[in-house]
Amino acid sequence: MSAAPQSQPLGSITSVSDRIQTEVQRAIQRSIKGVEYIASSAQVLGSTPKDVLLSRGTMQLYHYRPMTDEIYRIPILIVMATTNRGYILDMVPGMSFIEFLLKRGFDVYMLDWTAPRAEEKNLRMEDYVLDFIPQCVREVQRDSGVDDVNIIGYCFGGVLSLLYASTHLDGPLKNLVTFTTPIDFRGMKLFQNFSDRRYFDVDKLVDSIGNVPPEMIFSSFEMLRPASRAVSQVQLWENMWNDQYVKSYQMFDRWANDTLPLAGEYFRQTTKDLMWDNKLYNQTMTVGGRTADISKITVPILHAVAEHDHIVPSEASKPLIEKIGSKDKEEIVLKGGHVSLVAGANAVKRLWPRLDSWLSERSI
Amino acid sequence: MSDKAKDPMEVWHTFLGEMEKGFNSFANQTMGSPEFSRVMGQMTGASAGASKAFGDAMEKYLTGMNLPSRAQMMSMGERLQTIESQLHEIKALLNRVQADVVAEQGGGAPKPPRTRQPPSAAGGGGQT
Repeated sequence: MSAAPQSQPLGSITSVSDRIQTEVQRAIQRSIKGVEYIASSAQVLGSTPKDVLLSRGTMQLYHYRPMTDEIYRIPILIVMATTNRGYILDMVPGMSFIEFLLKRGFDVYMLDWTAPRAEEKNLRMEDYVLDFIPQCVREVQRDSGVDDVNIIGYCFGGVLSLLYASTHLDGPLKNLVTFTTPIDFRGMKLFQNFSDRRYFDVDKLVDSIGNVPPEMIFSSFEMLRPASRAVSQVQLWENMWNDQYVKSYQMFDRWANDTLPLAGEYFRQTTKDLMWDNKLYNQTMTVGGRTADISKITVPILHAVAEHDHIVPSEASKPLIEKIGSKDKEEIVLKGGHVSLVAGANAVKRLWPRLDSWLSERSI
Repeated sequence: MSDKAKDPMEVWHTFLGEMEKGFNSFANQTMGSPEFSRVMGQMTGASAGASKAFGDAMEKYLTGMNLPSRAQMMSMGERLQTIESQLHEIKALLNRVQADVVAEQGGGAPKPPRTRQPPSAAGGGGQT
């Protein structure tokens, strides 16, 4: 597609006639590109070369092929959030966190999730924390030939990583990184209200429908900012002349709509233990009968918080650094939202270089 | 007045941004009330109950019509998915065996050495 000829900054438009001319040109481009938008095929996302090492029900373990001649000693295992697809971290070349890590010399594995099947409705927190993650860690150790493993957890993947770290205090976890990870669930005020124990009958819901459908998860995210979808569509139309904007919109919109269902029992436990009883923050959490107290975690940790995160507000994520037992701990608060912290143009400039700098020092 | 303030598009963008913020803020206040929780809880419960009741009734109807029900189709889908994931596992195993054989024979692309040093290390590997 042609580059937009109208990309000159507003400040350089000196006369009203220039402005009108620009707007007319944009209107024409919008009409042409609007048709292209409807007819265009979806971009290929998550295309960084990889091998599937494990595939077991809802769990998938990928290994991305190294892109440098020399890599850091300790491999990274990324634990994705259970509500969303992992390709948010591997959008397209140049906008892929995975590609960035590979080009900086890291050896990268990802634990990604597919939709749990109806028969997997009985999966519990312990299946994720005491089975799936440990199996992936063992596979990373076997495949890389290295005992130590670094873990990066995104959103609820961060919660699972914290639970794994606190139930596997003897290793092999070497360094832990968490992005937009909630710890004090009182801080997620609207989710608290949606799941108010006086009115929300989680038992009835799970017992009657099994796995929680993706539409319900998606709607609960959308309800946090009900006007934003309509506004984003207006903005899309306005920027239809701008190929880069449209491509980016398509990628993120596709990902946001690609929400995963949640295993019923896992949802029930999350609601009761975390949303209602705030056990992770209160240090009373147990997983499969094992204590999961984050104050016992001592590995180095980097915790990234987004300043304008509407899904996991900073009130929910900030107490992690205070609660965790590690001496080598750092919190970074960056401009951006829940997704723009980890993906997109801002992440390229802000989070990714900070992570590279922190993790490279600790991966040798 | 600055050019930006005179620019109708800029005024429109500001209005749109403010309207979005205002509406979201108002909706969040409403959704933060106990009344909203109660209504939402009731609706979720009713919707789950209705969905189950409708599903049960539809299943009986389809059985009467000698047609496969949604549950049966889902079960078939699950069996296909199970076969698919077993094929994935076999493929992964074969790839692993093949990689091991190639490695034993000294062929294949060698894995990069794990000797990289961070840029800050004196005389380190730096960027490739």
